[in-house]
Amino acid sequence: MTNAIRKTRPLVPVLTVAAVLGAASDVLAQACAMCGSALSDDPLGRAISWSIIFLMAAPYTIVGTAALTLVWIHRRAAGRRRAASMELAGLQAATAGDPSGGGLS
Amino acid sequence: METGSLVMPRRVVPLARPDEGRAVSNARLAMIILIAGESMLFAGLIGAYLVFRLAARNWPPPDLPRLPLGLTAANSVLLLASGFPMARALRAARRYDRRRLARSLGQTALLGGTFLVVQGIEWVRLVRHGLTLASGTYGATFYVLIGCHGVHVLAAVTWLVVTGLLARRGAFIAGRQAPLEMCAIYWYFVCALWVVLFPLVYLS
Repeated sequence: MTNAIRKTRPLVPVLTVAAVLGAASDVLAQACAMCGSALSDDPLGRAISWSIIFLMAAPYTIVGTAALTLVWIHRRAAGRRRAASMELAGLQAATAGDPSGGGLS
Repeated sequence: METGSLVMPRRVVPLARPDEGRAVSNARLAMIILIAGESMLFAGLIGAYLVFRLAARNWPPPDLPRLPLGLTAANSVLLLASGFPMARALRAARRYDRRRLARSLGQTALLGGTFLVVQGIEWVRLVRHGLTLASGTYGATFYVLIGCHGVHVLAAVTWLVVTGLLARRGAFIAGRQAPLEMCAIYWYFVCALWVVLFPLVYLS
């Protein structure tokens, strides 16, 4: 790594925060026609704002729900496997102690 | 020796199927991806509906008919009630009760079919009263959103009928219940979607 890169590295978080804050300012947002109308106070602008918020939240909600479902299925399956192996071990122990010799048939 | 199972004293332990070791089977994963995609489709449609709905000064427009709230509420109860026979079908499949499984699937399909018929009757009445797809944004968003859900219910009912016929032949026994579970997941998704759409379109 060169010296120049090493020196500028600590500035990366500062520049990132500055870029995010700069992008969020009203003046910059109004540079886009859609955002400008959304920031205005007429009903269509407000409607577009709500729709944008809804559509922004939708993918996170859907992917989050799918991920939670997968985690839940995975954990439930692990619990079932554990219970089944414990049951099988108990059965094998019982079979080993059975004098009639009731093994696997 | 019994093929496919380990016979132990007073207990039968079925042998594992090839995909049983996986926590999430391929079928389940595919179903989750399908439902996520379908959800995004409806999120887009709801987003468009929100723009028109919130921007309108009068909703519904004064010259267009009101939606039949009472009839649709009763119809919604029918659709949501179909979740119970579906749950019964899943229980019957776990107990290998073929007759009960087929009967419960038939009941679910019947309730879904009734929902569709009532929706159809409602649509015919609305069209006769002047609410068509060309009746501005109100008619367009109503028919696209509710129609899209109706198409999904139709697909789910068809799936239920096919699954019911297969169940009568004994297709979902001995651990082969994945197709039935996929059908149930899709049906629950269609019902859950209506829980969102009904208040949004009819009550707001």
